[in-house]
Amino acid sequence: MNQQLTAAQQAVAKLAHDFADEFIDPIVTELDRGVVFPKALIGQLAAQGLLGLVLPKQSSVAGAGFVSHIEVVQALSRSCPAIASVINNHALFAYALEHWGSDAQKKQYLPALAKGDKLGAIAIQEEGPTPGVGRSALLVTRQGAGFKLNGTKAFVRNAGAADVYLVFATGSGGVTGFIVDAATSGLKIGPRQETMGLKACPVAHLTFDNVSMDEASVMGTENCGAVIATQILAVLAVAEAAQTVGIAKAAVAHAAEYAKHRVQFHHPIASLQAIQTMLAEIVTDCHMGWFGICHVARLVEADAPFEPEAGMVKMFMGRFGSKMLADAIQIEGGMGISEVVPKHITGPLPLARMFRDIAGTTLLDAPDDFPDKLIAAGIA
Amino acid sequence: MNSEQSAIQQTARDFVAAHITPHAAEYDKTGEFHSYLLAAAKPSKIFAMAVPKEYGGLGYSPLTQALVLEEWGYGCAAMGTTLSASILSMEAVLTAGNDDQKRHFCKPMLDAGIGAFALTEPAAGSDAGAGVATAVRQGDEYILNGPKCWITNGGEAAMLVIFAATDPAAGTKGLSAFIVERGLPGLIMGDREEKLGLRSSNTVYFSMKDLRVSVANRLGKEGDGMKIAMETLDLARPSIGALAIGLAQRCLDECVKHLHKRYPAKSFPGETLQFDLADMQIQIEGARQAQHHTMALREAKRPFSKESAIAKTLGTAVAMSVTSQAMRLMGSHAYTSEFGKFMRDAKVMQIYEGTNQIQRLVIARSLLAPPRIAVPAMKAGAK
Repeated sequence: MNQQLTAAQQAVAKLAHDFADEFIDPIVTELDRGVVFPKALIGQLAAQGLLGLVLPKQSSVAGAGFVSHIEVVQALSRSCPAIASVINNHALFAYALEHWGSDAQKKQYLPALAKGDKLGAIAIQEEGPTPGVGRSALLVTRQGAGFKLNGTKAFVRNAGAADVYLVFATGSGGVTGFIVDAATSGLKIGPRQETMGLKACPVAHLTFDNVSMDEASVMGTENCGAVIATQILAVLAVAEAAQTVGIAKAAVAHAAEYAKHRVQFHHPIASLQAIQTMLAEIVTDCHMGWFGICHVARLVEADAPFEPEAGMVKMFMGRFGSKMLADAIQIEGGMGISEVVPKHITGPLPLARMFRDIAGTTLLDAPDDFPDKLIAAGIA
Repeated sequence: MNSEQSAIQQTARDFVAAHITPHAAEYDKTGEFHSYLLAAAKPSKIFAMAVPKEYGGLGYSPLTQALVLEEWGYGCAAMGTTLSASILSMEAVLTAGNDDQKRHFCKPMLDAGIGAFALTEPAAGSDAGAGVATAVRQGDEYILNGPKCWITNGGEAAMLVIFAATDPAAGTKGLSAFIVERGLPGLIMGDREEKLGLRSSNTVYFSMKDLRVSVANRLGKEGDGMKIAMETLDLARPSIGALAIGLAQRCLDECVKHLHKRYPAKSFPGETLQFDLADMQIQIEGARQAQHHTMALREAKRPFSKESAIAKTLGTAVAMSVTSQAMRLMGSHAYTSEFGKFMRDAKVMQIYEGTNQIQRLVIARSLLAPPRIAVPAMKAGAK
């Protein structure tokens, strides 16, 4: 697959791969505790230029673009997909700003986002069935030349760590996106929520208590936020799919290695047809998924219509993501379910953590009918 | 289900709501076994539900036990596992033991003591005959040596059934089973394992160093071990299915509860989501019926080895599928709540007490090479 990449893109992918091996692998258990935000590590990635790949015009990295971004996401996810989550949410903010931001907004934020001097985050989800509905919805009202925001955005990634948020609020005329600095008065970051996996990427609710916004902080135009949010979720689906493939590739490599050495019934279990079938299915799902991701990543990079294909990638990963890890664990049995390497074993045993992580990269971040809608809309 | 079984089911449901559900999340977090469960269960003698009445137990039928286990799985599959794994060890003694052994082994269970079944070794997982643990006869004792791992309840059990080779050269035909009491010198318990799921169910590695066991504690004859193990697992593994069905039903119920909260009154979710919910219930109900069918066969003393494997595989597969689906339907809500536990617990259940692959081997063999022994014909008019 790599032969489709340019030499520069390959170099970026290798950079991320080597970075993950050298700097992330040794601390992955600590990252999984999810107690502190890995600020230093994100700083190191920023220094390599890996936080601004979705901004090719701003980036100092040769071969920057969405294709390189997903290569990096995949490479980092082999070690720690939560770090890739931090970068994805940051990159999606940058992507949105590049596409819908005003010249002034771009001037203010893009260079810092590209360098990773500022970390971005996206706040789309709410507790209710759809944005704008429910007791805690984030509502916006006009006040003179400006706006007032009141309510809550739920499950915001990078919450607390981000310097700036793209926040969607519902008003009488529709949904509007706002660029909100973390230090804005009236904005409160809730307690960090305990997640099943992806623990190095903080998740919290944001509450808005009469937060004042001016016209200059609107992203795009007033009431066009729903379109932007949908587009962001579609791009995010592709970036998350790259995380999923990264996790699954690492998992299947680990399970295959285990199967080669685990002797039962007088032979390595890798020689059993049932094990071969399970491994083959995981690799196939990975491979087919990755083809889909590469295809849609090129569409995204070329600014071509990509939404139905993004929906397909999301749907595919929703079906096979968790299954790939469930099967990899099945091959390793007791070792597969070990969170801590038992004393009588030599490690590492990462599959339990990967199982918790992959549920987060495949099953969250959009309403469950989101991919179906994107795909169906593309058929007509 | 008769009225007595309904009453028992209701009692179990009440116990679970009072003593299991409220502690499930906390115990899952620390991953430690809590003796609170045993203390709370003591007055009801529920840990002796499989102990025959003649030994002072409740003597519940297999179906009644399954009903109770489903309730426990509904509250917490990890705590349910404590109960089912204890019954597993007891089944070995009830299957192969003599009267004294049965009485001796069951006694602690009357006071909410638990048992453990120790077959697996580092080199012997699915290939249960590949173990290296040995039992060497010396006068009227056996000297046991070797490792055992992934032993559910191992660190907390009052009584263990331990398998070791009395004739290592004879392979699976050289395995024997022994009743071992807790705390004997030579029984060296390791730390509990930190698992992905079923975290508060105690799982340990232990080793035996010149562990002396009386000949009177040998179950059956020398060399009967593998036969005892397989018969016992046939009897006990549907229990895992029962726990898994309870887990899946709980997950679905919580999912529906959440959707009620999320969607305003009168605004039902779309058909895709409604069908997803329906499919979850279809799977659960199918698995439950397969489970009860297995119990009915067992109670009728008809062959049920294949059905036992089906009950375990189907129940745990359904639990995996339902919990994953719930995560997809509820997204971040599920990822930050007890739904993560449901999914983690379900995954472990596909592995323990015989992986679902081993179950499939059992099922496939019975299809491809059915046992030659003729099933006794039913009497005319019998149901």
